[in-house]
Amino acid sequence: MTLAFLNLTWPTFANGLALGGVYALMAVGIGLVFGVLRLVNFAYGQLIMAGAFALAFGSQWGFPNWASILFCFGVVLGLSVLMDWLVFRPLRTHSPAVMLVATFAVAFLLQNIALLAFGPLGKSAGALAILNAPWDIGGVFIKKIAVISFATAVGCLVILQLLLTRTPLGLHMRAAAMDFRTARLLGVRANWVISGAVIVSGLFAAVSAVMLSVQELTVVPTFGTQDTILVLAGVVLGGLNRPIPATLGGFSIGFANGILGGVLPSNQSQYLPSFLFAAVIVVLLVRPNGLFARGGGTVERV
Amino acid sequence: MTWIRRAVELLAPALLILGTALLALEVSSYLQAYFLDTLVKVAIVVALYVFIGNSGVLSFGHVSFVAVGAWTAGVLTVPEDQKRITMPGLAHFLLTTSVGNVASLVLAALVGGIFAFAVGLPLMRLSGLAAGIATFGVLEITNNVLTYEQRIGPGLNAFSSVPSTTGIWQAAIGGLVCVVVAYAYQRTRFSRMLRATREDPAAAAAAGISIYRQRLLAFTLSGALAGFAGGLYVHLQPLQAGSLSLDLTFVTLAMLVVGGSGSLLGAVVGALALNGIFSFFSAATNTVDVLGWSFTVPSGTAELTLGMLMAIVLILRPNGLTGGRELSLPRRRSVADLEKARATT
Amino acid sequence: MTALTVEKLSIRYGAVEAVRGLSLEVKPGEIVGLIGPNGAGKSSTLHAIMGAAPVTGGDVRLDGTSLVGRRPEDVARRGIALVPEGRRIFGELTVDENLRLGLAGRRRGRNGGGLTRAFDLFPILREFRSRQAGVLSGGQQQQLAIGRALVADPDVLLLDEPSLGLAPKIVDVVFEALTQIRDSGLGVLLVEQRAQRTVALADRSHVLANGELRLTLGPEDASDTDRLVAAYLA
Repeated sequence: MTLAFLNLTWPTFANGLALGGVYALMAVGIGLVFGVLRLVNFAYGQLIMAGAFALAFGSQWGFPNWASILFCFGVVLGLSVLMDWLVFRPLRTHSPAVMLVATFAVAFLLQNIALLAFGPLGKSAGALAILNAPWDIGGVFIKKIAVISFATAVGCLVILQLLLTRTPLGLHMRAAAMDFRTARLLGVRANWVISGAVIVSGLFAAVSAVMLSVQELTVVPTFGTQDTILVLAGVVLGGLNRPIPATLGGFSIGFANGILGGVLPSNQSQYLPSFLFAAVIVVLLVRPNGLFARGGGTVERV
Repeated sequence: MTWIRRAVELLAPALLILGTALLALEVSSYLQAYFLDTLVKVAIVVALYVFIGNSGVLSFGHVSFVAVGAWTAGVLTVPEDQKRITMPGLAHFLLTTSVGNVASLVLAALVGGIFAFAVGLPLMRLSGLAAGIATFGVLEITNNVLTYEQRIGPGLNAFSSVPSTTGIWQAAIGGLVCVVVAYAYQRTRFSRMLRATREDPAAAAAAGISIYRQRLLAFTLSGALAGFAGGLYVHLQPLQAGSLSLDLTFVTLAMLVVGGSGSLLGAVVGALALNGIFSFFSAATNTVDVLGWSFTVPSGTAELTLGMLMAIVLILRPNGLTGGRELSLPRRRSVADLEKARATT
Repeated sequence: MTALTVEKLSIRYGAVEAVRGLSLEVKPGEIVGLIGPNGAGKSSTLHAIMGAAPVTGGDVRLDGTSLVGRRPEDVARRGIALVPEGRRIFGELTVDENLRLGLAGRRRGRNGGGLTRAFDLFPILREFRSRQAGVLSGGQQQQLAIGRALVADPDVLLLDEPSLGLAPKIVDVVFEALTQIRDSGLGVLLVEQRAQRTVALADRSHVLANGELRLTLGPEDASDTDRLVAAYLA
């Protein structure tokens, strides 16, 4: 079976789906926190960076893979909760601009802590390199990690959807994202809802860290930054305050990134970020409230 | 008496710049580099302020105007024989054209302004997060192109052989030019209209103010100043595309927000204070003496301190150190008046 | 049984004193009306009880325990439910989900209330339970807002202008429901603009003007238009 269209092959297609899946998870992670706190967490990429470093250290210290992954989850969740307590909550009542710049500051701070602690060359990320080996699927060789990433992303999103629609906490989170004040007057506990969003968001960051670091040779302090900026663009493109459009936005930009990275010749692929951002800007000009948003959408002045 | 108040509004930032320049005369040439760097940062932050301070809209794209200005001034002032060696891929027209120091700064401002206008033409129609992300996109695209396009600059390499004309006086005068232009703009009715849109967009629009046009005007002016500052910057040290990207965006935004994005004085104070602290810790990586006590810090401490300071100021004083006010003579306004003013809101 | 006591309550927003020294009491099984012109401080009082407005003096007690300084969600979870002004239903959620949100305010160990309570009082909600709340009519949304407050099985129900923007026929339905709610043993504090109807319905009605209690009226005063007008103009 072939898929010969503009150099597009099945493995490239699979990589696009996989990257799209991971970006979708990141998009939801950013979107959930925005929903309850009205805060765009620019430091999300640094959570992923921290997770990737945890994974790299785990394998360096000779942890079995499951323990490295557990360690990665622990570090990312701990950092998420810390960020929430030290930065997000004190700033909850401030303007969106101040909150955005504050998360910018946190991102810069964490990146420089990593730089100070691990150096600009970072660490080699060999923990799960074995997953880069291909599977033979009907004569087409597709990297294991591509299949696993996509399947994991879909699994996570399905579980989240069940959490949001079938549990009281999920219902409370959705209500808080729509009208926090009224939700509190009905007895919805602000702290629980915020913690819930921060923890789910942190879990997704940890999953993304594992998936993204498999395909990289080294983990450096800027790990995940570029991905986060792209995801942010994707989230805004989709519509920030709605889980499904945000997911689609994140997926679209990840998919485009993965596909274009595969099909463009190398003298053009170095301009890949330009193509993606130019596309984002054009879409924003046509649909300022997001590609998948119905009607009004959120207009936060930042 | 208003003219005195106005004069103070301009004099306070101007004197701060002059004071920094005079201090720079007194220190060793090694430390002088930090003072010059600080003065250039003041110019960049004031450029940022012209748009962000007056419009109340964040822009992540201004460093791209700084970069474009730096590229313009850099490419046009490297001696032709050097260009053939360091930038062989340069377009023929750029390879053969060279201009003087002042002309390169004027052109940097011009190119920065034109670029900002071209970008602003579509982007100023956006607002909120869409605008923020779009300006981010501009930064990424500019950086991406400057990094790989060897027809317009050194590509991945740093500029070399740009005449180092940004000494104390050029840095100080450059900073002053930015402050005076920002002040002059602030006194125009355009600025007042833009500030009105910041306070209450709906009311301003109802009063017949075009938010789009006012924002575009401020964006263009601020882009020109940023380009000019970029020109100053490239004449100070060998720049490369990587140093004109996210980190500089963060650092300059931090300076503006920490100083207080609502006032010109805030922009200058923020840049001086943060870059001063930043420079101190950078210098301390190679040992500094403070009152006879010498110490060394590991590299990266400067960035770390800056990040922490920024987070702390934002949490404790979200309106910045100056609270967004200009330094002015105390107005004859009693506490009771203030209470009344607050009561009506 | 639980009573809500407001004692010498003062509320201040910046320099503006919205309410000064207001005292009132709501006992189980009674409706207390709070009427007065716009800006008199009626809504502020309700928000202060809920912990969503700054209390600068006095006390709010539920069954002897002070509520001042507690977060809105904690007040709600102690048995006070608010039907906010403008209904504030979640238009994108279904009727069922809106009602289940009300359960957030139910106290631990309580099994009363629940969705059936809302359905029994307003059968229309059961019929429309899987519809999006945003497509309901104004009157149905008001019934949903009251139902949502009741599923938490509160001891005290606060209502902020429930008749606002409703057709007279629907207002009858809402006021009839309030009578039933009172008869089930709840204390009801009703903020209203429709002074005459409120005075006729409530066991006591306090007239608030400029943040101060002016006058207390009983149901027998409902026809005494002069007293009402005088109270408003005072």
